Amino acid sequence: MQTNQIRQSFYQRYREKFGHLPWYKRYEFLLPLSLFIILLGIFLPSGRPSNAIGWVLICTFIFIVLLWVVGVLTDVEKPRWLRAIAAFGLIFVFGFSFYRYSGARWDLFTKTFLNPSMMQGAWSELLLGLEMTLKLALVSMLISTVLGLIIAVLRSFKNPILEFFLIIYIDFFRAIPLIVLLVFVYYALPFLGIALDPYLAAILAVSLNYSAYVAEVFRSGIESIHRAQVEAARSLGLRSLQAMRLVILPQAVRVVVPPLTGLMVALLKDTALATIIGLPELLYKGIQTMIWKANPTPLVTVALIYLLVLLPLTRFSSYLERRSKKWVKSAR
Amino acid sequence: MGEERQVMIETIDLHKYFKDQHVLKGISVKIYKGEVVAIIGPSGAGKSTFLRCINRLEEPSSGKIYIEGVDITSPRVDMNKIRSEIGFVFQSYNLFPHLTAIENIKLAPVHVRKIPEKEAEQKGLELLKKVGLEDKAHAYPDQLSGGQQQRVAIARALAMQPHMIFFDEPTSALDPEMIREVLDVMQNLAAEGMTMLVVSHELGFIREAATRVLVLADGCVIEEGLPRQLFNNPQHPRTKEFLSKIL
Amino acid sequence: MKTKNNEALKENCLEKTTWKERYGHWPWYRRYEFILVSFLALIAFGFALPRPGLPETLFQWLFIVFYLLLFLVWAGLILIDVEKPNWIKAIAATLILSLFGWLFYRYSGAQWDKLGYAFFNWKVLSETGSYGSTVTGWAELFQGLLITLQIAIFSAIFGTILGLFLAVFRSLNDPILNAFIIIWVDFFRAMPIIVLMMIIYYALPYLNITLSSTVSGIMALSLNSSAYISEIFRAGIESIHHNQVEAARSLGLTTMQTMRLVILPQAMRVVMPPLTSNYVAMLKDTAICSSIAIMELLKTAITLQAWKANPTPLVAATIIYLIILLPLARISTVLENKMKSKGITRSIRRQPKAA
Repeated sequence: MQTNQIRQSFYQRYREKFGHLPWYKRYEFLLPLSLFIILLGIFLPSGRPSNAIGWVLICTFIFIVLLWVVGVLTDVEKPRWLRAIAAFGLIFVFGFSFYRYSGARWDLFTKTFLNPSMMQGAWSELLLGLEMTLKLALVSMLISTVLGLIIAVLRSFKNPILEFFLIIYIDFFRAIPLIVLLVFVYYALPFLGIALDPYLAAILAVSLNYSAYVAEVFRSGIESIHRAQVEAARSLGLRSLQAMRLVILPQAVRVVVPPLTGLMVALLKDTALATIIGLPELLYKGIQTMIWKANPTPLVTVALIYLLVLLPLTRFSSYLERRSKKWVKSAR
Repeated sequence: MGEERQVMIETIDLHKYFKDQHVLKGISVKIYKGEVVAIIGPSGAGKSTFLRCINRLEEPSSGKIYIEGVDITSPRVDMNKIRSEIGFVFQSYNLFPHLTAIENIKLAPVHVRKIPEKEAEQKGLELLKKVGLEDKAHAYPDQLSGGQQQRVAIARALAMQPHMIFFDEPTSALDPEMIREVLDVMQNLAAEGMTMLVVSHELGFIREAATRVLVLADGCVIEEGLPRQLFNNPQHPRTKEFLSKIL
Repeated sequence: MKTKNNEALKENCLEKTTWKERYGHWPWYRRYEFILVSFLALIAFGFALPRPGLPETLFQWLFIVFYLLLFLVWAGLILIDVEKPNWIKAIAATLILSLFGWLFYRYSGAQWDKLGYAFFNWKVLSETGSYGSTVTGWAELFQGLLITLQIAIFSAIFGTILGLFLAVFRSLNDPILNAFIIIWVDFFRAMPIIVLMMIIYYALPYLNITLSSTVSGIMALSLNSSAYISEIFRAGIESIHHNQVEAARSLGLTTMQTMRLVILPQAMRVVMPPLTSNYVAMLKDTAICSSIAIMELLKTAITLQAWKANPTPLVAATIIYLIILLPLARISTVLENKMKSKGITRSIRRQPKAA
């Protein structure tokens, strides 16, 4: 009885001194765990493990680190430096275990992946490819936008017969993977006597595919304008085309531009698929030069070029979308 | 007489800044076990902020808060444990919309207190009976009226068997005919001796149930006293002005 | 006196009744006379169209396109008019569609007599398949379909786990982790899947990381989708009102309990529609795996077509894709519309697959 009381009071005193945090948030727990992690880290296999035990060890290690990090990061009370260590630690452990256990020969990295000497004479090829990519993208953008706009306007007439066929068109081209369409246009149509060169085939496939998406974007733009706006315009005596031009379109543009930008960026991204029908665009040129040089530096360069072009564009389009969401909200 | 009564909440010089806005300007109060303290004051006085600081839904900028003698502003304290001892009833009910009434009530007992599912359900049903909603146990929040939702929210807070309950304007989002049912539940609780901290402008309720009234204005406690005394004979000019507006 | 005056006025009016007053004040382009005349003109104009077969000069192309546009404008004028009876509109709509079909039939340069032999030659598929195979072409296509589905399912699982992981870590709002996650998401959203796949399959072996084509395909798809899925989950998590978090925390739930018991179950409802369309998009993207020689549906069809020198397998593969993807695309659209009508429009979509 008495010992029990003493024990309790000892516990209480201990608690008051060292806090009431749950075990996984306490420093008494986190500190030994950190030591354990370091110890375990020393005993980890130094290369790609040959047996299952090694893998289990590595997975356990990562899991424990994860536990530690979550314990620290979910606690608002922990000092900032500790949280920073946890965040860096997590990234470091992932990066390091990939570095160590992926089995990659990192000593070959600069020689194979980033070897400037391998780019000799390749730049002009890649530039030609980039030019082809941009040409394909621009032409397809133009055609698909015009086609999509025509379809959207035709749909806005709400004629059941037209609607039926246009929905079939849109559904068909949205459901079919672009690469299948490319292959179909390039490899199957010649059997019907329609032989297109890769460039035309790519333009046709990409434009048809994207016209369906563009049509949907334009349609939602037209429909997003509140019916009352149309009625207000009509009551002022504007004819339906005038109402369209003066009232609906200017408003619809603000709704349409962000998703349309997104679509166009996606189109630019998807031009890489034209490689599969042998169109000499950027990716194709990259692969050709890779084979020619027997070194993947050109392909890596191509990936970097894609990133360089597409990263700002995707950022920009998601910025536009976020802004338009705000705008739509404020308009309501 | 206060000597032997247990102090449930004590705040010492509590300050709170929102960016450069000074919302609480040094509040020091003591609340004893079994008290029902009503906090009134004009809007923007910092009533809700004060309540939310006490269980650290908002971080106080400076000052000390003791709950049953434990300094909860210390980083060593397990806030979740403390919070589980304090019921909190929100203005907007904040029931979990993906759970039924009974699931709402037993969520915390099961996952925080580790009470077995069946036992928690049993207790939950009892609580629902207490707030007069035993037939709505399996209704989702959007199938309940505002008053019913708020009563479920009170039951949810009670399910943790808290040592005290905070009410943050529990009736101000309700239609007039539903206010009564919620106030009745609160009055019963007060009669059972629960320690309660209530931000409310229901003067009828305060008069009947409250043991003390704090008047908050511009982040300071400008006056406190027994309800009857305070309502009939306010001292501070701001209190007079405020009471004349709501009476 | 007055009545006389009135009668005189009436007579005066009758006398002066213009053609316009009698036949309405419609602008010229909405009148039946104009519609009829312009229709006849268009028909007459049609005789000037070039001869059937692939047009040789650019001028001929432009001429055909111009003709089509003219017809579209003509029909548009009818369709846009609320006053016109429905049967006239129906005729106009049918005319556009049939003109479109007719022009395509005439000028695409296709040899339509070969259509049945080339595209719908099912016999090709019921014979044994490509070189060295003992099963029929149908069976090979079916195997390809199975591999497509396998790749899609594995990529969906890995992509979802990775995406959820990223989203939950993102919700911790740690600036360092956030920076890292944003880089990850941006990188994989900006990188075309086919480039990623080529890098993994063709470039990584130079670093001594040799993965089988299937693993490379799954890896590229899951890395790509992890970026989109993490954004979807993040939007879902952020769409839950902060009140819910406060209510949960006030009951004493921990951060992770709040996430698991309160936020994620609610976020799931918001997340489901964009997640579905993301999975549909991923199923579509598995076709890209044919570029690294995985024998999935498309690659099987291409191989069969080359072996049989007949495009029927490709037509069959296209039809199979449509049969699977059309209903799925519809379902995801319906789900998203349902969500929108509920006022929850926070859907981060994978552009453009689910516009």
